[in-house]
Amino acid sequence: MKYRITHTTLYHYSQPVGLCQNEARLQPRNFWRQHCDNSRFDIRPLPMDFRERIDFFGNRVTYFAIQQPHTELMVTAISEVTIFPKQNTLDMFNQMTWEQVRSLLQETPWQSQSQSQQGQSQIQDQGLEILVARQYVLDSPMVTITPELAYYAQSSFLPNRPLVDVVHDLMVRIYQDFTYDPTFTTIATPLSDVLNFRRGVCQDFAHLAIGCLRAYGIAARYISGYVETLPEPGTQRLVGADASHAWFSVYIPSIGWLDFDPTNNTVPLDQHITLAWGRDYSDVTPLKGIAYGGGQHTLSVSVDVSRLE
Amino acid sequence: MPDANSTANDIGTQYYATQLGIYDEMYATENKVLPYWERFMAALEAMGSEKLELRRREAQRLLRENGVTYNVYGDAQNLTRPWRLDPVPLLISSEEWLVIEAGLKQRAELLNLILKDIYGKQSLLKKGLLPSDLIFGHDGFLHPCVDALQNQQQHLTLYSANLARGPNGRMWVLDDRTQAPSGWGYALENRTVMTRVLPDILRETQVHRLSGFFKAMGKGLAEIAPHHKEDPRIVILTPGPLNETYFEHAYLAAHLGFTLSQGGDLTVRDGRVWLKSLSGLQAVDVILRRVDDSFCDPLEFRSDSQLGVAGLLEIVRRGNVAIANPLGSSILENPGLLAFLPRLAQYFLNQELKLSSVATWWCGQRRERDFVLQNLDSLVIKPINRSLGNHAVFAGELSGKEKEHLRGQILAKPHLFIGQEQVSFSTLPAFIDNHIEPRNAILRNFVVASGGGYVVMPGGLTRVARQKDNFIVSNQAGGISKDTWVLAPEPDKQASSLPQSIRNQLIDAVTEPLTSRAADNLFWVGRYLERIEASTRLLRTILLKLRETFEFKDPIDNECLKILLRTLTQVTGTYPGFVKSDAQLLDAPETELLSLAKDSHRKGSLTANIQALVQAAFNIRDLWSHDTWRSVDNIQRRWQQRAINNEINTEQLQNHLDDLITGIVAFTGLTNENMTREAAWLMLDSGRRLERALALIALLRLTLALRHEDALQNQVLEAVLVTTDSLTIYQRRYRSFIQLPMVLELLLLDETHPRSVAYQLHQLSIHVGALPRGKNQGHLSEEERLILKAYTGLRLCNAHELTKVNPNESRYTDLEHVLSNTAGLLWRIADVIAEAYFSHSQASHLMILKAPEDEL
Repeated sequence: MKYRITHTTLYHYSQPVGLCQNEARLQPRNFWRQHCDNSRFDIRPLPMDFRERIDFFGNRVTYFAIQQPHTELMVTAISEVTIFPKQNTLDMFNQMTWEQVRSLLQETPWQSQSQSQQGQSQIQDQGLEILVARQYVLDSPMVTITPELAYYAQSSFLPNRPLVDVVHDLMVRIYQDFTYDPTFTTIATPLSDVLNFRRGVCQDFAHLAIGCLRAYGIAARYISGYVETLPEPGTQRLVGADASHAWFSVYIPSIGWLDFDPTNNTVPLDQHITLAWGRDYSDVTPLKGIAYGGGQHTLSVSVDVSRLE
Repeated sequence: MPDANSTANDIGTQYYATQLGIYDEMYATENKVLPYWERFMAALEAMGSEKLELRRREAQRLLRENGVTYNVYGDAQNLTRPWRLDPVPLLISSEEWLVIEAGLKQRAELLNLILKDIYGKQSLLKKGLLPSDLIFGHDGFLHPCVDALQNQQQHLTLYSANLARGPNGRMWVLDDRTQAPSGWGYALENRTVMTRVLPDILRETQVHRLSGFFKAMGKGLAEIAPHHKEDPRIVILTPGPLNETYFEHAYLAAHLGFTLSQGGDLTVRDGRVWLKSLSGLQAVDVILRRVDDSFCDPLEFRSDSQLGVAGLLEIVRRGNVAIANPLGSSILENPGLLAFLPRLAQYFLNQELKLSSVATWWCGQRRERDFVLQNLDSLVIKPINRSLGNHAVFAGELSGKEKEHLRGQILAKPHLFIGQEQVSFSTLPAFIDNHIEPRNAILRNFVVASGGGYVVMPGGLTRVARQKDNFIVSNQAGGISKDTWVLAPEPDKQASSLPQSIRNQLIDAVTEPLTSRAADNLFWVGRYLERIEASTRLLRTILLKLRETFEFKDPIDNECLKILLRTLTQVTGTYPGFVKSDAQLLDAPETELLSLAKDSHRKGSLTANIQALVQAAFNIRDLWSHDTWRSVDNIQRRWQQRAINNEINTEQLQNHLDDLITGIVAFTGLTNENMTREAAWLMLDSGRRLERALALIALLRLTLALRHEDALQNQVLEAVLVTTDSLTIYQRRYRSFIQLPMVLELLLLDETHPRSVAYQLHQLSIHVGALPRGKNQGHLSEEERLILKAYTGLRLCNAHELTKVNPNESRYTDLEHVLSNTAGLLWRIADVIAEAYFSHSQASHLMILKAPEDEL
C-alpha cells in the first residue's frame, strides 16, 4: 500500500517575529512494517538554518530556524510511504501471559550479569531488546503511573491471561468507556481528568492505555502518525480534511512491538502510517517552536492522506 | 608560644566540650589537640575574645560592603541575606590534604568517564554495570543530549563535592555536584576577608593560596573552546538577580573577566551562539552556566523556561559552543550512583575508590530494597530526583502511619529511592557568642579540568550549623561559613592571577561587550539617581519654606509653599497628593511629606526610588568597582537606618535629606572618576541627563510658567534657584534682583551650566553620537535627530521673548509651549533609545498546538 501525506502547519502572528527556532518530527521513520520512499519539506519563509538528525528513539528530527522578520510561517511536509501489511496474525494468538512478560522485563540484564560474575560478556540480543523496552515501563513526562490507572486496568489483567488478550481487552474497554470529545482536552490536560471524566481524544486514549499497561510492569510506547480515512460511500473524499493521529504499541518478548489503536478499536494493519515513537507525546511532538516577538499567534493545520496504489 | 595567661582564657577553649563518639577536628583520635591546631588556638587565645569579636564584626562589615549576599527563596521582603563568616577556619594538614586531593581528582575523572558513556556509547548500561532504571528513571537523564556531546573536548569541567568526616576520622563524600556547582566565589571572598581580619595569623600559618586555582579555572575554560582557543569569548549564564547565589555569578564574572549574561542576552543564529551587545552580536565560545540543565534550552527541554536560549543544544551538537558543565550532567547528581561507584572505579580505572561515599542502597535492586525496608528506622531515605517537596527523610522520626506511607511509596516505585546510612559529621571550633564551641561541619571542595588533568582548589567552603549538635548546615537554613586553610609544607610562591605574557609585547586592550540588558540597567541607574536627587532637592526646599511659614507667618510664604507642594506631587507623580486636595492637607502637609519620603509601597516615593536604584545597580553588580558598589550600599543602608527604621519629624528628615544628597554625590563622583568613557558610562550618563532634563522641565512648568504677582513671583524664583542649587551662581553672575528672564537664561538656555536643560541636551547629543549606532552611520539615527531637534528648538529661544505675555493670561504661553515641546521630544528619545539598544531582550513564547490534532 502506498500513501502520500501532505501535512501543512500555518502560523499567523499579530506582530513580526524576529527569530524562531523549530523542531519537527514530520518525516516517517522506516521499520519492518513501513518504508518511507521520499520525504521533503516546503518551509516559507525559507529557513536560514536547516538540519536533519536521528533522535534517541530513532525518529527523524528536523531542526530549522527562521532568522528574518516574518508575520506568517508555513511548514509543509510531503512524504510518500509504502506500508507492508505483514503483521503476523499468529501474533494475536501469542500465549505468553502478562505475568511472564512482566517478570522478564523485571529481571534486569544487570542482575543476571552479576550472577554470572563475568562482567565483560555482552548480553544477548534479546537482552538488549529488553533493555530498550525497559525504559517504556517507567514514568514519563506525560504519563505518571497512579493507583487510579491500575484500578481502571485491573479487570483486564486477569491472572494468567495472555498479554495480547489483556491489551486487546483494554483497548476495547477504552473504546467503549470513553467518549471522543475534541472540545474537552488540550495538550495540557492531565491523565487523571481524562480518567475522571471519561473523555478525550486519540492522544489521551493512547496515554491512558500506556499508563494502564505500565502500572502492571508492561512496556508500552506512544506512536505518532496518520490514519487513512475513507469517505462515506457515495461522497467525494475531502482533500486536507485529515489530521494527525496517535496510538500505542506494546512490547511482547519474542514477537516485538505490537500496535493497538484504542480510538478506532483496531489493530493497525495497512492504514496506519507511523511518523515517530517515544515514551509519550512529549517525545514525538510533530512540530514545536520558540518564537521571539510575535504578539498573539494563531495556527491552523491541514493534513491530507491519499492512497497512491 | 604566646603565654596563655588568665586573661586570654576568656575565649573559652578550656571549656571546649567534644562529644563522645564524634570526631573533633582539633583532637583527631588523640587526647590532646593536634599541634597545628594548638598553634592556631594559642594565637586566638592571645588575642582574646573581645578582640576576636571585633574582628568577626569587621569581617561581617567587609562582606556586607562587598555585597556578599545569599538570596533566600520565598523571602521577598528580605531577599538578600548577608553572608555569615566565622573567623575560625578549618585547618587541614598538608599530609591529609594530599589524600583528599588525590581522592577528588580520581572521583572527577571517574564521573567524567561515566558522563561520557551515559551520553555516548552507553556501554555501562549494555554491559549491565549500571541498571537502566537508575539512569532512565532519573530526571537528570536528558534524551536529547545522547550523542550531542561528542564534540565536547571535556565532559566534566567543573566538579564539586560535599565532604564530611565520620567518627573514625575518615573523610566521606556526602554528595557530588556536577550540573552547576556553586560556592567557588564565596570561598574566594571568605579568604579575601580573612586576609584582612586575621592577616598576622594567616601569614604565620603558611596557608595555600587560592589564586593559582582560579588561574587554572580560567585556563581550563578557555581550553574547552571549540574555536578561538587563544582568545575565546566566555560568558557566565546566570538565571538573574533573584537566584540564590547571584552574588557569586557577578563576582566570578568580574574576577575571571567573563561577561555576565542572562538567557535573554544570548541568541542562536547561523549555527552559533551570540551575545547581544550594544555594538551588535558577538560570537560566544564557552558558556559557564549557572542555570539548571532542563532550563537551558526551551526548544528541546522545558518549553516554559525563560532562563535559557532556544536552540542551544543544537549548537552544542554541532560542536560550535562548549558548556561547562555540559547539558545533561545533572544525571551524575543521582544519589543512587553512589552505590555503583566502587565497581565503576574498578571498571574504568582499575582502582579502588580513594574517597568513599556514604553507604548507599539503591532500592531498584531487590536485595537492597529489602535491606532498606528492614532497616528503615536507622536510615535516611532520599528520592533520587531532587525537586520541591521531595526531601530526605529520617525514617526513624516518622510516625507509624507516615512510615507505612513511605514504605508504600518505595514499594510502588522502588527505583526512585535510596537508603543511606546516617552519618555524624565531625565537630570543629566555631566562635559563637564570644566563645569557642564545637559545631558540626561539612566541607565543600572544588575541582576544575585544566591542562589535561583535574586541579583541586587547595581550600574550600566549610559550613557549620548555627545550633549545636545539628547536622543541617545549608545556607537556606541559616548556616555559617568558614574559610578552609590547607597548610602548606613551605610558603606558597606569590602567584599573580594575571596570565604571563611575552615580554614587551603590546597587547590590544579588549573592550568587554556590554550586553543590552546591562545597558538597560545602567540607563535606569542614571534615571533613578536623578529622580532621587530631584525630589530630594525639592523636598528640602519645601521643608525650609515650611519652617519659614511657621516663623514669619507671611501669607506670601504660604502661597509659595502651596505652589511648591503641588509641584512636588507632580514631579514625583504621587497623585492625588497636594493636587486637587482640600485646604487641610495643604495647611498641614507634614504627614504627606513624610510619606513621600518614607513609604516604600508608594510609587514615586524616595524610598521606592532608592530601592529601584539599588535593584538596577544589583542587576549589573559585576560592572561596578568595589568602591562604587560600596557607595550604592551606603545610600541604601544609611537611608534605611536613619529615615525608615525610626519615627522621624520633618526637621530630622531635613538632615537625612542632606545626607542622602551627599551619598548621591559620592556615587556620581566615583562613576565620573572610575569609569572609562565607553558604552557603560555613556548609558549611565545618558540616563542621568535625560532624567535631569525631564525633572527640570517639570519643575519650571509648574512654577515659572505660571504667572504670579510680583512678591510671590520673587519667592517662587528664589525657591527654584535653591532647588536647582543655582542661587549662588545666579547672584554672582547677575548681581541683581531675581528676574524671570535671567532665571530662564540660566536654567533653560545656558549650555555651560550643568543644571540647565540646554546642558543636558548638549551632553546627551554627544553621548548618543558616541554610541555604536551613532558612530557607524553616515546619516543621523532617530535618537540623534530627536535630540538635535530639541536642542535646536531651545537654542533658537530668547528668554525675553519667552516671558512676553498678554495681560489677561494666567501663564506664559510661549514658555509653556517650549517646555512641553521639549519634554515631549525627551520622552520620545527615551523610547527610541530603549527600542534601539534594549529591545533585544524580547520575551519568547512557545509555538505549539494547544488543542490536539486528531481524527476519528
